[in-house]
Amino acid sequence: MSKRIVLGNEAIAFGALSSGVAVAAGYPGTPSSEIIETIMKYGDKVYAEWSSNEKVAFETAYGAAMMGARALATMKHVGVNVAADALMSSSYTGVEGSLVLVSADDPSMWSSQNEQDNRYYGMMALIPVIEPYDPQSAYDLIMSAFEFSSEVKHPVIFRSNTRINHVRSQVDMKDIKPPVMGRLSKNPSRYALVPENARRNRKEQLRRWEIIQKKVEELNSIEGDGKKLVIASGIAYAFVKEVVENSKVKILKLSTPFPIPKELTLKALEDSEEVLVVEELEPIVEMQVKDLMMSEGIMLKIHGKDLVDRTGELTLEKVNYAVGKFLGKEVDKIDDIAFDVVPRPPALCPGCPHRSSFIDLKKGLALAGIKDTFFSGDIGCYSLGVLPPFNEQDSLIEMGGSLGIANGVYRSTGVIPIAIIGDSTFFHTGLPGLANAVYNKTPMILLVLDNRSTAMTGQQPSPSKYIDIANVAKGMGIEYVKAFDPFDYNTSTRIIKETAEWVKKNLKPAVLISKRACALDALDKIEDRLPVAEVDMNKCTGCTICYDYFTCPAIIPLPNKKASIDLSQCIGCGACVPICPFKAISMKGDKPKGWDDAWLS
Amino acid sequence: MAKLNILIAGVGGQGIITMGKMIANACEKEGIKVLVAETHGLAQRGGAVNIHVRIGDVYSPTIAKHGADCLIGLEANEILRNLDYANRNSIIVFNEYTLKPVLPKVRENSVEEIIKRLSNFRIFKINANNIASLVGDKRVVNSAILGFAYGLGIFKMIKEESFLTTLRGENNVKAFKLGLSEGLKVSDKVII
Repeated sequence: MSKRIVLGNEAIAFGALSSGVAVAAGYPGTPSSEIIETIMKYGDKVYAEWSSNEKVAFETAYGAAMMGARALATMKHVGVNVAADALMSSSYTGVEGSLVLVSADDPSMWSSQNEQDNRYYGMMALIPVIEPYDPQSAYDLIMSAFEFSSEVKHPVIFRSNTRINHVRSQVDMKDIKPPVMGRLSKNPSRYALVPENARRNRKEQLRRWEIIQKKVEELNSIEGDGKKLVIASGIAYAFVKEVVENSKVKILKLSTPFPIPKELTLKALEDSEEVLVVEELEPIVEMQVKDLMMSEGIMLKIHGKDLVDRTGELTLEKVNYAVGKFLGKEVDKIDDIAFDVVPRPPALCPGCPHRSSFIDLKKGLALAGIKDTFFSGDIGCYSLGVLPPFNEQDSLIEMGGSLGIANGVYRSTGVIPIAIIGDSTFFHTGLPGLANAVYNKTPMILLVLDNRSTAMTGQQPSPSKYIDIANVAKGMGIEYVKAFDPFDYNTSTRIIKETAEWVKKNLKPAVLISKRACALDALDKIEDRLPVAEVDMNKCTGCTICYDYFTCPAIIPLPNKKASIDLSQCIGCGACVPICPFKAISMKGDKPKGWDDAWLS
Repeated sequence: MAKLNILIAGVGGQGIITMGKMIANACEKEGIKVLVAETHGLAQRGGAVNIHVRIGDVYSPTIAKHGADCLIGLEANEILRNLDYANRNSIIVFNEYTLKPVLPKVRENSVEEIIKRLSNFRIFKINANNIASLVGDKRVVNSAILGFAYGLGIFKMIKEESFLTTLRGENNVKAFKLGLSEGLKVSDKVII
């Protein structure tokens, strides 16, 4: 045992390693990414990979668990939507080893498009859901999840959230165990889901479910005493524990929000007079407790989402309000105070090639005489193109959605759309959309922003390091494929103009690839001193283009409207040089060793 | 032990996560429970970020509105953005430094404007960028701010030694100590 300060995600990774995980696969997504990274760093005997998408990651873990290994798949909540097809089947077949799916949910949508409550997946698939409340319980419960899965031969969903994944705290940890590997074993009557087998599996699944319902009892507990019962699931326990302090209440502390432990819940309900269910987002536990009370003929007043906010993450003030009301105390709802502060949304980094691509695209389309089009966006750092001054993400729905949405826009309006997708997202779920564009002849420009990295989640690798996107597009039947360097403003804008004209004339899809490395990746490879941009004050007219339309964070306006360079932010990339119409910006300092290679290889 | 709630606010890229790690490690050395809730991912890229540091007998990962004992701003405007975590007794520490948001045609508040807006609060400002220049290393700004807060007595349950061992390299130690001595000068105004 050793106590260390770790991030919640590191605790989950170490817990998996202490459980003998042999195969771990994931697709990066906030707040889940550090789990696989940590396993890669510390599990030298474990096979860990970044898969091309969550479905492949889940299947990889599932395949390993079929062979009897202990396997882990990690993803953010919306990633589970991508893996859902395989997830549903895994509940039918069960597994021979251990199969744990970590779903890192993101209530309040700190870095996500929605805040879906993935405990519902457990309900839909009949898979037990285990929920921790802090990094220590995450470590302990991920170990329980592996044990549980191996004992009942059924997958387990381990549902965490941002305030567990990204909380740093002391965690008591055991040693890492040797991986529990699989061995080749074939059982097609179980794993080949033709209707005959699937029908039998369905009955087996319900039989396992009976066992699971009983077995979850051991993962839950009752604390305190009183006539008022608070049922707290997962992270809700952390808030409830702090809010109740010395009040006389009984707490049913749930680590399994689905299924709830029937016997323990009935025990907690005994001699209780009133019940409050505190849980984040959806009334999953509340529904089950009400259902149980109804079937057992227990008539008690029960509160839940009438007092606990259904949107956003739980906070102390939300839980304080709910528990206070429940205990009959005077509590005021604390409203957010609105302060008049300039907004500071996230921004593309200095040297980000996406900024140049957005500028090039706007100019190139203008040169082709296209005044109005639809920018069908996607998920990645380039999603920030939604912000002014770019305004080049008219929709961004889900990973890989840019192509299908663009098709729908064209079919319903006749307007030729621009689909914009990153390289990692292209390989994640962009390929079927591209196949469809060829197959159904969608006139559109697909702009792939290829920075050879899954940049937004921390520069994990991308398949584009190994597969040439131009060859993929050509191989899939795209007739018009061109690549450009987004920092080369004149060439890029010319190519975009010609491409737009080709699509208008031929009414077929064209693929453009904007190729330059993520600036953070490029900088990691450079050791020498960086060059810096310099503004010639005699040439600068104060036209504002560099800081108001290009918006590099390193270019700061002076009181006289002229531009100046913030030396603490400038990385010397030179992207701003061709943007200045008065040629007032130049580069000072030598190119460091390996500079062009770092950006362009 | 009592609870200590510190909200640290800044701009993505200012090293706020490293700062949280330093405090967490110092608490670990003292054997005091700590929870640091961080901001990762998209929000990190040049946007407004904060971390919630909770020390002592704590369970909730985040601080309640009006519940911060101390608010630390690595950039001065970010204090205003997070002011609803403060109350009239909160110690508000901030760096005399502003950063322009990366949006066209917007202007951030100046340090003077921010001080005027905070006239009803207990504010303690430090020019940490100057200290970093003195040390000759622009990367040690946060150590100066942390030293300043330490000098004010905010982390009095942690020994100075425990803090110093979490700092990497001589320049960080120098900046911490310079900040600390600035903090000591005004620490008589602090009652926590």
